[in-house]
Amino acid sequence: MNSQKGKNTKITRRHFIKVTGTIVLVAGTGWNLSAADEIPPSDGYLLVDIKKCQGCASCMLACSLVHEGVESLSLARIQIMQNSLESFPVDLTIEQCRQCVEPACVKVCPTGALKPNAKYGNVRMVDKENCIGCGACYDACPYAPSRAALAADKDYDGEDRSRKCDLCANAPFHWDEAGGGPDGKQACVAVCPVGAIKFTKKIPKQEGDDGYKVDLRDRNWGKLGYPTR
Amino acid sequence: MKGYAGKILRLNLTEHKVGTIPTSKYQHWMGGHGMGSAIFFDLVKDKTIDGFHPANVVTMMTSPLSATLVPAASGRTEVQGIGVQSYPIGWFTRSNLGGRFSGMLKFAGWDGIVIQGKADKPVWIDIRDGDVRIRDCAPLSLWGKETWDCQETIWDYVLSGGKSDDWSSPAGKESGMTTQRPAVVAIGPAGENRSRIACLIHDASNAAGQGGFGAVFGSKNLKAISVIGTGQVEIHDPKMLMATRLWQKENYAFDLNHLKETWGSFQFKSPPVPILFWAKGRPRIDQRPQACMGCHSGCRARYKDAAGNEASCFASVFYWDARNLDIQRLASDLINRYGLNAVEMIYGLLYIHTLRQSGQLKTAKIPDCPLDFSRYGSKEFIEQFVKMVAYGNDGKGNESQFGRDISDGFVRAAEKWGRRKQDLDSGILAFPYWGIPIHKEPRAQVYWGYGTLLGDRDINEHEFDWIKWEATSAKSSGREPSLTAKEVVRIVTDKMIPFQGDLDMLDFSESNIYSEHMAKMVSWQRYYTRFWKQSMLFCDARWPDFVNIQRPDYVGATGIAELRYVKAVTGEIFSFEDGMNLGRKIWNLDHAIWTLQGRHRDMVHFVDNVYEKRPLFQADVPNAYMPGKENGKWDYYAYSQRTLDRDKFDEFKTRFYRLQGWDTATGYPTRETLEALGLEYVADELEKAGKLGKG
Repeated sequence: MNSQKGKNTKITRRHFIKVTGTIVLVAGTGWNLSAADEIPPSDGYLLVDIKKCQGCASCMLACSLVHEGVESLSLARIQIMQNSLESFPVDLTIEQCRQCVEPACVKVCPTGALKPNAKYGNVRMVDKENCIGCGACYDACPYAPSRAALAADKDYDGEDRSRKCDLCANAPFHWDEAGGGPDGKQACVAVCPVGAIKFTKKIPKQEGDDGYKVDLRDRNWGKLGYPTR
Repeated sequence: MKGYAGKILRLNLTEHKVGTIPTSKYQHWMGGHGMGSAIFFDLVKDKTIDGFHPANVVTMMTSPLSATLVPAASGRTEVQGIGVQSYPIGWFTRSNLGGRFSGMLKFAGWDGIVIQGKADKPVWIDIRDGDVRIRDCAPLSLWGKETWDCQETIWDYVLSGGKSDDWSSPAGKESGMTTQRPAVVAIGPAGENRSRIACLIHDASNAAGQGGFGAVFGSKNLKAISVIGTGQVEIHDPKMLMATRLWQKENYAFDLNHLKETWGSFQFKSPPVPILFWAKGRPRIDQRPQACMGCHSGCRARYKDAAGNEASCFASVFYWDARNLDIQRLASDLINRYGLNAVEMIYGLLYIHTLRQSGQLKTAKIPDCPLDFSRYGSKEFIEQFVKMVAYGNDGKGNESQFGRDISDGFVRAAEKWGRRKQDLDSGILAFPYWGIPIHKEPRAQVYWGYGTLLGDRDINEHEFDWIKWEATSAKSSGREPSLTAKEVVRIVTDKMIPFQGDLDMLDFSESNIYSEHMAKMVSWQRYYTRFWKQSMLFCDARWPDFVNIQRPDYVGATGIAELRYVKAVTGEIFSFEDGMNLGRKIWNLDHAIWTLQGRHRDMVHFVDNVYEKRPLFQADVPNAYMPGKENGKWDYYAYSQRTLDRDKFDEFKTRFYRLQGWDTATGYPTRETLEALGLEYVADELEKAGKLGKG
């Protein structure tokens, strides 16, 4: 289900104009494209078990809550998509940001707003001050749905800004004083009622889905009558 | 106040108009049922109209907690209007469905939907954020489709033929993006054909089952409502909301690493295991739990073969005599696809089958029954039966008077056959009140029957049900219950504000079931559910949290948790008692509507069978044990084999009416009581109709 995408072409064209119109800004940002070749890996990753998920979308509600202070499925950095009428396990998938070792979204960002943040273990984060809402990251993400998404931002007069998973590093409404990031707590992991989302510091296998979509079902899960294979 | 979208969608199907009502006008009712009743009262000038009348108004309301992280409170939608199922009058009634419809409605920017009038041809409603269209069913050939086909067709249409595996902007490129499918509520052929037991279906098996709202939709030529929202819900204190959710998860919910139970129950701490009653048990195939939006513990499942997806409770009881599990799962799917009320289908089939077994099906007044009972238990038999009710024919496309009769509900069918009283009296027609099927045994769990009779529908409220399950399970297996009867009664009644501490409210002994204590018990449940469950939309399967075995002291979170959530989401400092007072106000408003419809004390009685005979069929749990005080000693006792005393029940009504502040002679509300609740305008309307009680 984690298909390489065929993107929404309307959005691509719309943002192409923004990209071309703002490319001139790149030189002045201090971010230099050649440095993308030396992007350090993130210190943290989210793993999910799509066979364990109960589809409640609590992770999505928690994500938008701690990041934006509102409830919104559209503003969630993790997406659950499901079809009530389908058969298990293809009835549901979870699509989370992979914090790619070779992050296409970082490489393509024309202003350097999306980059590894050393303060938070090199998580790929958007600096909204520098984001111009061009959508290049949205287009560049090789996965569908794109893990970087655009949405109108009330803090910027309703202009589009990119949003992506930062492992709750920059979550102004984080419930825990110590906050998030690779060394903190992630809202989706904390709230998931069935433990279908896990945080790891180990770099998952980058090819295919196996490294990110894993088996988190143990003997106790089996006691409830669910498959543990 | 935060948590609201700020506007309610108003649809006038007759005039093909889309309008809005500011939520602020009704915000003092908080949400859900309270708002729905108040809107209904204002918009329906003549409360005596039939449910099929175009002037009937149907409301579908959310709450400020919908679409939020409040556990088991985010996904429910309250449906209200004049129903067509109950007998002899289709009372103003309610139903409720889970899933993701209410959440999606909030994300689209709406706190509810008000449906007025009747379209001149079949239509469906297409809501995409603020863009609302009343669309003709013809281009998509929706009219005639089963509920699942209808939903899939709408999904494809709204997503422009795409799948929901990528971002899309269904409300236009200037609106937000989403990866989600629209949430659709649809009727099936049963609703289109105005079967009085037709319901509303959302996704696989979320049903607003009671009241016959499927038929009411059908009478309005309304096939479906689809909503997709890309917006957001403002939260007063996001940190508090997240922290409270995690606090309750940590301290009151199931713990996968230390499971104390491995089965599903109607409790907050229940693990996410489907609550199923298929005769052959839960299928031993690959599956996942499935939960409504925001719920911490799903009570349904989806299966490797998709058969019986999300079916639970009564949807899984239907066709108990199926030859095998696969056929029974198919039967669950059939009632969802054709859009039929599972409970009435269960007791209706039991009635027809009993008539046949006792040689009474072929009597002069009963039209020819097209069913071949030699195939009873087969797939073909149940398909035909479901289609007979849904289409009002022989289930094979041919005219059938028998099919037409049962499509109107089984009590009305018996009435046409001249056997309603006789079959209610004997008990083979197990519909003990208002022409509504039995659920819990009214002779034992008296609050359930009293609440239903004093209200409008099978209450289907499980606050106290765990007590019986635990005691009966312990007794039948020879183990000690986890708590003594007195301990349970103490923990529960401690939380029953404003009657807290009166232990005798839960004494089900013969000497107490008509008492003032029981009147308080019934009152508490009527107020509690009207507000906390049906207006704030805390789910019946998970709330309240009375007794909680995860806790060292067994004391659940109710009374603390709800208030924290309301505060976190809305910013309001709201006490449990504030909610109970508002619940009482809503209960009084509903009762005033029933009074205007024609309710009088003299109508409020069980069928004779409940007073004169022991149960013919075991409703729910055979030989259920309930707490009681016999000779001064609290214990669990079996009370299901008794009968109720007609005269003593009449005395109970007097006690109950007096406690409500109603006229004990008529049951009518009094001006004094209504004015004290801020319902002067309701008293005025009752007075105009000559139905104001004497105070």
